[in-house]
Amino acid sequence: MGLFRRKRLFSAADDGFAVTLDPEVRQFVLSLARQLDELLELDVNETKRLFPTAYHDDPEREAGYQILARQQLIDSRREAISLIEATVDQDVLTEEELAAWMGIVNDLRLVLGTRLDVSEDDHDIDPEADDADLHLLYHQLGYLLSEIVDALTGTLPPPTVADDPV
Amino acid sequence: MTAPLEIAEPDLDEVVEEDRPWVVIVWNDPINLMAYVAYVFRKVFGYSEAKANKLMLDVHHKGRATVSSGTRTEAERDVHRLHGHGLWATMEHDE
Repeated sequence: MGLFRRKRLFSAADDGFAVTLDPEVRQFVLSLARQLDELLELDVNETKRLFPTAYHDDPEREAGYQILARQQLIDSRREAISLIEATVDQDVLTEEELAAWMGIVNDLRLVLGTRLDVSEDDHDIDPEADDADLHLLYHQLGYLLSEIVDALTGTLPPPTVADDPV
Repeated sequence: MTAPLEIAEPDLDEVVEEDRPWVVIVWNDPINLMAYVAYVFRKVFGYSEAKANKLMLDVHHKGRATVSSGTRTEAERDVHRLHGHGLWATMEHDE
């Protein structure tokens, strides 16, 4: 996989973002996105970070929030996965398309990180561990995500909210 | 014809509740990347790079940061948008 070469994976172009991901990496991300799609409707521990609690200490309002929010969060992820399917071979992505890639790559990290029960200090991979391949994948997705964030951050519009007075 | 006047009694609990703003809190988690969190704050709220980075660092070092405030409806909308980006956001009444 060409994840670790120095060339930018995503760079701003006239009509969006030029993508230099290898075809096998693209297809691999798509296959992971399809696996995520199958998890979305299931009540499993791995996806709990995709549907956070809004009201810590108000079960009634929390129930009301979840009724509306959960399905919307599933639907928006389905839309993003569809955008990845539609654009997997494209050499140029619009901002909306790249944002869909970013969201799903982040969701994949949330699911994988929850499954691996990662902690903040988890920087080293034990190559002998049973789940070493999953840890490696987790770090590769982190690299892919940071490349996308770099590209999208570089094209953010000027702030619309003034800073707080110091 | 004149319809009988109906005077709606104000719900005092609701009035008091609306006077106190709701705050949206983002909590630290070991998974989300720092640059990603700062990007989301800029994208969702239109904050400057400096403000977004400060809030992100507060989340990282203090464990939580208040990122916005407003009515319950506004706070719930913000929480929902942050959840859509995979951030661990909750809302509560300001003390």
